[in-house]
Amino acid sequence: MGRIFSYATLTGLGLLILALIALPLMLGALWIKVLTSAAIFALAAAGVALVYAQLGLINLAQIALIGVGGWIALRLNYATDLPVTLLVLIAGTLTGVIGAIFALPALRMRGLYLALVTLMVAALFQIFFNAFQFPNGGEGFWGVAQKSASEVRRPGFAESDVGYYRYTLIFMAIGFGVIGLHKITAPGRAWAMIRQSEANAMATGVNVTLYKLWAFALSGLLAGTAGALLAGALGQLDARSFLAGEGILLFALAVVGGVFSWVGAIVAGLLYKLLPALFNDLGLSADVAMIIFGAALMHAIMTAPQGIAGQILGAFNRGGSDD
Amino acid sequence: MLKVYGLFLVSGLAVGSLYALAGIGLVILRRSTGFLNFAYGAMAAAAAMVAWQVAEWGAWQPVSWLAALLTGIALSVLYGRLLAPALAWREPAVKAVATLGYMLILLGLMGLLWDDSLRKLSLPTDKIAVTLLGVRVTVTRIIALAVAMAAVVIMILYLDRSRMGLNMRSLADNRDHAALIGIPIVKVETLAWGISGALAGGTGLLFGSLVRLEPTVITFMVIPATAAAIVGRLTSLPMTLVGGLVIGVVEAMLTLYKPLAPLRAMTPFVIAGLMILWMQRSTTLTFATKE
Amino acid sequence: MKLQFTLATGAAALCLSLMSNSAAAEDAKPHCGLNTGQAATGAPIKVGGINGNAPPGDFSGGTDAAAAYFDCVNANGGIHGRPIEYIVENDQWNPELAGQVATKLVKDEEVVALVGNGSVVEMAVNASLYAAEDVMVMASGCAISECYESSHIVSTNQGPLPSGIGALKFAIEELGSTNAACIGFNIPNNGGWACDWMNEYMASKGLQGTSILMDPTAVDLNSVYLQALAEGVDTILLMLPAGPAIGLLKVAEEQGGREMFKWVSPTPLYEPGVGEVLGDYWSEHLYVNIELNQFDSAGPDNQNWVKVMDAFGKDGDRRDTFSQSGYISAKFFVDALLELDADSIDRPTVTKTIQDIVGVKSDLLCDPYYVGIADRHMPNHSGRMVVFKDGGFELVRDCYDIDTNYLEPILAQEAALGLN
Repeated sequence: MGRIFSYATLTGLGLLILALIALPLMLGALWIKVLTSAAIFALAAAGVALVYAQLGLINLAQIALIGVGGWIALRLNYATDLPVTLLVLIAGTLTGVIGAIFALPALRMRGLYLALVTLMVAALFQIFFNAFQFPNGGEGFWGVAQKSASEVRRPGFAESDVGYYRYTLIFMAIGFGVIGLHKITAPGRAWAMIRQSEANAMATGVNVTLYKLWAFALSGLLAGTAGALLAGALGQLDARSFLAGEGILLFALAVVGGVFSWVGAIVAGLLYKLLPALFNDLGLSADVAMIIFGAALMHAIMTAPQGIAGQILGAFNRGGSDD
Repeated sequence: MLKVYGLFLVSGLAVGSLYALAGIGLVILRRSTGFLNFAYGAMAAAAAMVAWQVAEWGAWQPVSWLAALLTGIALSVLYGRLLAPALAWREPAVKAVATLGYMLILLGLMGLLWDDSLRKLSLPTDKIAVTLLGVRVTVTRIIALAVAMAAVVIMILYLDRSRMGLNMRSLADNRDHAALIGIPIVKVETLAWGISGALAGGTGLLFGSLVRLEPTVITFMVIPATAAAIVGRLTSLPMTLVGGLVIGVVEAMLTLYKPLAPLRAMTPFVIAGLMILWMQRSTTLTFATKE
Repeated sequence: MKLQFTLATGAAALCLSLMSNSAAAEDAKPHCGLNTGQAATGAPIKVGGINGNAPPGDFSGGTDAAAAYFDCVNANGGIHGRPIEYIVENDQWNPELAGQVATKLVKDEEVVALVGNGSVVEMAVNASLYAAEDVMVMASGCAISECYESSHIVSTNQGPLPSGIGALKFAIEELGSTNAACIGFNIPNNGGWACDWMNEYMASKGLQGTSILMDPTAVDLNSVYLQALAEGVDTILLMLPAGPAIGLLKVAEEQGGREMFKWVSPTPLYEPGVGEVLGDYWSEHLYVNIELNQFDSAGPDNQNWVKVMDAFGKDGDRRDTFSQSGYISAKFFVDALLELDADSIDRPTVTKTIQDIVGVKSDLLCDPYYVGIADRHMPNHSGRMVVFKDGGFELVRDCYDIDTNYLEPILAQEAALGLN
């Protein structure tokens, strides 16, 4: 902790450059799309992991916030001519605010009850998205027309799938960077104290309410950004992507990947999107992936609290984990 | 108009008793072992599918019901004996998350074993019905309510009056102390998981018959059932029963209010959310309490 | 291993009855493509197919049947000696996966066309990709608006809208319906879309219609039924997939609702396994519109479908409406391809030759099939009506078309192409 340019960070930047340049040369269109999705959900998983690792709080509603971010991005896409990157940032920020608002009544809760509240929220949003769907260029506030979706803009420099993949990776890396900065500055210290004891944290002058809300807002920001990026990647969104069960799965995979480092978020994204795509490509049933996820979750909870990332980083070196 | 309200009241009670039944299953296990079991719905689904399969193989119907109960017990005890002990000293939220893993495994296994096709689980009681306020209520639905109510009464008596019930409660409160004063932990916990599993099996049979015989549908019924359990603060069996019934009635009544009718399914989650807000009305500090 | 006892037995029973019916037919072997009896050995032609097979439904019948037919074609001379390499992907009802597998087929595998697609999500996600890449999709199992309102997708099945209106038309004319409730999912491009047009149709006849929409996860089917009761309708149209539709029928049975309403449904309830699940209670009280022909009809294409499935189908293949639809899509596709010179087959020529299909006929369809160049396609909008009886289905009304404003642009296209 403390050094920004630790060994792991540098390795990460190296990997990023490799992924930006080398992978598009080696992979077909299918896998570029899959990796784009994986990167998007890695960003969202990083938000779940942040709240769990720093505050010990379980959030099963991240998938709902991804949907909210996607909804805002699509709504603005059709209603305005704003540049796409600005759209993504607006969607992320608004979702962060919404995340914080939802967190407000939940602040006095932790543990099981908070997890249950988030589960209820996820279930609510599932029904809500089903009923109102996502804007596709139609009229009115909800913007839903009975036709195939009108164009969802991508930035001029990222029109192609490969370009958009790079665009997504850069957002993901920036997201990880923002989390990393938080961890080594005042919010990170405040979170650590809150996790130990809220009373003690308050006694030493930490604004507990603010910093807890801040964590939720940051997590929401990442979810909203992910949702907006997803809308651009797919060209539309469908309510079926935002079921409460998916929220459960996303949290589970964040834990399996490891919540203490960005490596874990990437593992979570890859497990969530790349593994099923690989299985599908090999003709294996998605049910097999489900069984593996379940077993991996139980394994991670019982014996490997640092997740797969912990094992990777542990094997790498002892000197420079960045959290 | 009064007659119409009567219709939906009865219909709501019928659905509410399903929420209550599953919620009660959750609360019983939670009170006796400290686990909130998200895999409860998946166990019920597996039990229902096994019952269908056994009947499909041509077995006598009661054999298939027995198979459902045994499946529930087996899956529940399997988790309780093999996996739960490793988590015994962890916080409740972590215990609950671990059961999500079990849920995913069961869901995957069911997907592998049974493909999506039309299936039906019929109970002989589906054909017998009484008319109540203009609604025909089959005996199967009455059984659902009766089982829920009986489970409440019996478990209250059992947990409060019997030696084993006392053991269970002390175990759920504090495992260390319970072990220290010589409570046979393994035996008590196995029994608790077994009871819960049997209830899951029965619930699965009723759901398969009354709702739909589809593994995912029954598995994710655990989410509204959790809402009913939240109304009972995850501890009170009578309140869970009431919660389930109230949710069912409100959901049914919303049918009459056109703008909200298509969104009726939100009812369990809104009521659970309001309940949670109400529960912490007296807390003024932003401190999170232990639970 | 999947346990497909019901389906397998249902299909077997079906086959047996068909066998006995067609005993008179001299030729028990299927008839496919050039029918040379020689295996094709040339350079393969890549064709794609996407199905949706995961809970809550199995839409793989179309690609199963297309695969069987292509195997049969490959064993019978192929496309002038070139075999078809049929690559099938499963979107698992997941919009992202649907986009990914379509990208794989269209961009990585460079298929010349897609045939037999059956899905609820795939068409909405990929319609713009197909248009941008100028690749045609001859689908066979569509259920949403996007599928019928896209330039590069043409489906052999009707989907909920024409089939539902067909069922309503029958109910109005033969059962005396004046006030119908459309029970569907609360999803805009599915239940919302179809039920809106149902109401419009009822209004255009001076009759009353009302939508009762519910969340797909709703367990409270009882209240849905009671809502119809409270609305005072005389007819219930089940705009639902088979599973939930049967759930609702079961609730209605509980309430003794058989005589309270006239019960009609679009095609989803016409499935081999339905008889066993529904039971005797509904015999002669449930009318279903079918988009293609009856499973045991005697026409040459239907008989050939059965033979192809017997000879080239896999054990787990479903033999439902989607299967018939997939078979006939594949047949029209092969017939169109055989018009081309084997060496000139690539995506542009295939797209063109598919768009040139006009007025081909089959006993599986009521009207001639066509594609043409248009921003929407719905070649199949006339159906038949069957009644559920003694565990099976009996034809009560042969081919009839529907009259709805929705079809205006479609009928204009048909007039322009010289059909009708």
